[in-house]
Amino acid sequence: MLKLALLVFLLGLAGCVTVRPEQRAVLADPTMQFDSDPGDGAARDHVLENREGSSGGTSVKGGGCGCN
Amino acid sequence: MQLRLLRARVGLAALLGSVAASAQVAEFAPRATVFIEPSKTSKLLVINPSAELSVTATDWLELHGGYEADIVSGATESLKGGRLSPVDIVSSATHFKDTRHQVTGGFGLTRDNTKLSATYSYGTENDYRSNAFSVQSGTSFLQKDTELTLAYGRGFDRVCTTNFADSDSPSVKSPLDSSKGCFTKAPDRASRKVDLDNFQTGWTQTWTPVFATQLVLYGASQHGFLENPYRGVVIAPAGDQALENHPDNRLRLAVALRGKYYLRPLKVALSLGTRLYRDTWDILGQTYELELERYMLPDVRVMLHGRYYTQTGALFWSDDYTGGEPHDGPRGQYWTGDRELSPLSSYMLGARMVFKKNGDPARRIAHVMLGFETSFSFDLMKTNLKDFTWGGSKPDDTLAAIISLGIRGQF
Repeated sequence: MLKLALLVFLLGLAGCVTVRPEQRAVLADPTMQFDSDPGDGAARDHVLENREGSSGGTSVKGGGCGCN
Repeated sequence: MQLRLLRARVGLAALLGSVAASAQVAEFAPRATVFIEPSKTSKLLVINPSAELSVTATDWLELHGGYEADIVSGATESLKGGRLSPVDIVSSATHFKDTRHQVTGGFGLTRDNTKLSATYSYGTENDYRSNAFSVQSGTSFLQKDTELTLAYGRGFDRVCTTNFADSDSPSVKSPLDSSKGCFTKAPDRASRKVDLDNFQTGWTQTWTPVFATQLVLYGASQHGFLENPYRGVVIAPAGDQALENHPDNRLRLAVALRGKYYLRPLKVALSLGTRLYRDTWDILGQTYELELERYMLPDVRVMLHGRYYTQTGALFWSDDYTGGEPHDGPRGQYWTGDRELSPLSSYMLGARMVFKKNGDPARRIAHVMLGFETSFSFDLMKTNLKDFTWGGSKPDDTLAAIISLGIRGQF
């Protein structure tokens, strides 16, 4: 319940944040993307999953591109 | 019959023609990755070629497909024993060669700020078959400052084993000596189910024009035959051996938090990330990552990254199941020879260089491409196996290199 409340609080906090479209030049750059080269990342994850006892939680595409 | 075939061909040609005619962008991305793990006795080489093709058929429909292979060769110890085992483990290393093929296909639907996609994949190798589908959805809101993604995957796999009965005592089950006869009616072979469920949700948030974070929650359930069907374990002081014996169920959870910050004075994108992992086999994993990326030329960017990983061993892991004490003896009713279930840590250092060139419909690259990207990466990984041994000797295959070269072209 506490975790849910924290999540709702953070999402509410996120609603107060606004980065205007004209301020997104840096965020839209590939260097600021969380999954800027999915092929390379997937190849590395494939190796690690076979060399470690853990898996999952890898990066997902997203980064607030805002490039319409 | 011929008329029906002709109609089918005309229909297919019309469908492909209409898709091609309305296609906006087609993207082709071949890649080759090589994994090398040198060793005197248990060297491993994996070559992973892959290719993906996606076509944006309309402004709301994308079709994608792909192929990849794992060409694996090397040698591995098929029998695990520890410090007290009276068996020559190292000489049990056997050479092997196998190839896994996997094809994927799917589609994506986009509407405004929401995307829904589905993918099916089929994989086959001599001793394993996999069927899997996955669905992903994502949406952005609050002027695209917030992005949420949700994904679910289901795998229906089968693995080849020797033909033992489920009711047999684990101590009399024997490992495979080869994949010969697998997925045939051979009387000494059987196939067993592995059911996989994966859930993942991600929340990406931009906080300022130069700062974004991402929170990822992951959960997975595995059920079925989770052992390596080839690996035997020495389980008695007299040298008695049996197939690995793992629990049939494993629940895995991970939470990852990453942050990206652009350092304007250095023109560097700094990324810090951490991941915590826990499963019902009592493995606790921690990952810490650092990445630095910047443009060296207008079209060339270089990324340096470092990663540290550490994990505890599975509750039932022991280096030797023949002793009487917990450190060198059995831990419950299960046994394993899998070093990935032992306590370990690893360091990874690497670099990636990306060349990316954007064109446009009026000025295509090499007269054909709307965009072109190629990337080359090199990583070194050193693993520290805290307690794992091959018959009391520390394995020497703990330094590995990963080399990857990819190309992406948009047409």
